[in-house]
Amino acid sequence: MELNICHLYPDILNLYGDQGNVLCLRQRLRWRGIEANVTGVSIGQTLHAADYDLFFIGGGQDFEQEVLLADLAGAKTAELKSAIEDGKPFLAICGGYQMLGAYYETWDGKKCGFTGALDLYTVGQKERMIGNYLFTCDDLNGAAIVGFENHSGRTYLGSRVRPMGRVLYGSGNNGKDGTEGVRYQNVFGTYSHGCLLPKNPQLADLLLRTALERKYGAAQLTPLDDTLEQRAHDYMEQRLRRAIKA
Amino acid sequence: MIAVAACKLARFGLRLLGRGGTDFPGRIALKLCPDLLGRLAKDVTVVIVTGTNGKTTTSRMLEQAVADAGISYLANRSGANLLSGVTAEFCAASTLGGKCRHPFALIEADEAAFKAISTFVDAKAIVVTNVFRDQLDRYGEVTHTLDNIRIGISHSPHATLCLNADDSLVSSLADEMSNPVIFYGVNVPIYASQVTEVSDAPYCIRCKHEYVYAHITYGHLGSFRCPHCGYARHTPQVAVTQVFSTDESGSHVMFHTDGGDFDTQINLPGGYNIYNACATMAMGQAIGLDPAVTSRALGHFSCGFGRMEKFEINGHSLRMILIKNPAGCNQVLNFVTAAREPVLFVACLNDRQQDGRDVSWIWDVDFERLTAMGDRLAAIYTSGERAEDMALRFHYAGVPAEKLRIYKDYGQLLDAVLAQDKPVYLMPTYTAMLGLREKISKTYGFKDFWE
Repeated sequence: MELNICHLYPDILNLYGDQGNVLCLRQRLRWRGIEANVTGVSIGQTLHAADYDLFFIGGGQDFEQEVLLADLAGAKTAELKSAIEDGKPFLAICGGYQMLGAYYETWDGKKCGFTGALDLYTVGQKERMIGNYLFTCDDLNGAAIVGFENHSGRTYLGSRVRPMGRVLYGSGNNGKDGTEGVRYQNVFGTYSHGCLLPKNPQLADLLLRTALERKYGAAQLTPLDDTLEQRAHDYMEQRLRRAIKA
Repeated sequence: MIAVAACKLARFGLRLLGRGGTDFPGRIALKLCPDLLGRLAKDVTVVIVTGTNGKTTTSRMLEQAVADAGISYLANRSGANLLSGVTAEFCAASTLGGKCRHPFALIEADEAAFKAISTFVDAKAIVVTNVFRDQLDRYGEVTHTLDNIRIGISHSPHATLCLNADDSLVSSLADEMSNPVIFYGVNVPIYASQVTEVSDAPYCIRCKHEYVYAHITYGHLGSFRCPHCGYARHTPQVAVTQVFSTDESGSHVMFHTDGGDFDTQINLPGGYNIYNACATMAMGQAIGLDPAVTSRALGHFSCGFGRMEKFEINGHSLRMILIKNPAGCNQVLNFVTAAREPVLFVACLNDRQQDGRDVSWIWDVDFERLTAMGDRLAAIYTSGERAEDMALRFHYAGVPAEKLRIYKDYGQLLDAVLAQDKPVYLMPTYTAMLGLREKISKTYGFKDFWE
């Protein structure tokens, strides 16, 4: 068995640890004897979405994100949309998450058009929402996800998508409505750096299982020894739950 | 000058309690007299070292050169590089009447503090070491860091700028500024083999097209050129023209300066310290030091405080190397992975404000290099508040479980370190380093281990 993973704009959308998510997916496949082929697709390269089983998009610095907007429009956007509607699993973090939405409006009123693949939009503000945070994940029966958010954009979800879960500690999508992230088809979008997947291995396995099931029908993932993963997760969960009480 | 007295008193009080620290006394002084620094620094020749990585090392190198040149100076130390810390250092070096005892001051300031400090002092020279991604929760993006430095420079119209020609971000600071500039750089590659790393500045700061490089020394540093708009590396006036060797004990290089060429020993290992030495040579030229004196100073300065610092506990040899961001940590790995004998690595990760509250950066470090050491990697111990995250990173880097241990408690960690016989590399983040030092000095009676 093998999975073909597409890492979009790995040289640009690589802010603070997001590439660790790809490493995590790759290792969790290899430890189970499943081949993982990771392909970076960046500016000027054609995206053939049909070649891939799973997509990862990270976040970037504002300066670099502006570099790729023109490249993202057109053919790449069309490919991404069809892959999403086709039910391929996606994980998109922060800037990558925002780009799957309709647009980003800066705090001083400038509007940048994005892919419009998902029914959501983002409005920038001056103050950033920064810190460790904790939220539930509906697809994992409400299990708590630990992460670190650092964003100035407030994201608002439309009626055609649902959030990934509810914020237990921190700001989440917009600091107001208590939601965090987005779910649509098999797309997971979130503000969580951290890096996200290694400390939340259930989420990593959910993405992998979805991709394998789509490709091979039924898929059984051999359980891994997640002692270290669980320790890292539990340390932060407990610390943040204490902070909620305080 | 009540503020000076209050600051001195608070500092004395802290020392009586056996504590270091300059931040608190400085804050008291600033409450009492907000422009105290400006008053104390009025007749002092001030030079400032700023940038992301290498500030402390460059400052210590420069300090040695200044001392060897026979200049009486004050310098801020112990990471006292915020406005409050710098003010406290000036208070300590001033009379109660508010007169500074030294004609010369060497200030190390982080990018944000530089912006504040430069409103009070009229610097004679400023060196900018480099700009890398660092603690994004605190400093934001690299362009934001660069903006802070640009504002600081705009407050310093009389300063000669010593800019890293190899850093496309730093050298862009020369644009739109009328200050005299000395560019410095490394004309040749430093490493035979390098870690794989993410570039923090792949796209042209002026026109957003991708740079091409004739050579890369590390990170985004090197001989860059934008094929679209023509923005390119400036020819450095102060340059490393040859790297003869770089090993465990230090580096041997050739410097070219306006005052001639200098065959120089740098007594601190690590290729990145060649840049710090080069920055020092540039600064020496800016303030008129004899380049031969500066060159010799590089061979016998001492750095300490977690910058490749060597010490022994009960016959065990330890080296402490501060880590704080991907670029710096990757350079540390370039050095430590060159070890010939099996070594023990200890990584201590904290997530307080001075460390950076976001620990995601460890996933951008090429720790896979440690796994590739094979038998030369005896074991890795992790500690600190985020010890589990650190261990997880090594786990995903492919370090076998039997080589990986977590010790949350510094006492247990040190016991385990001393119970084995391999040379040790301690790699803590800033507050973890303070905690470790405190534990070591209390347990093993190290005097002056706190600076």
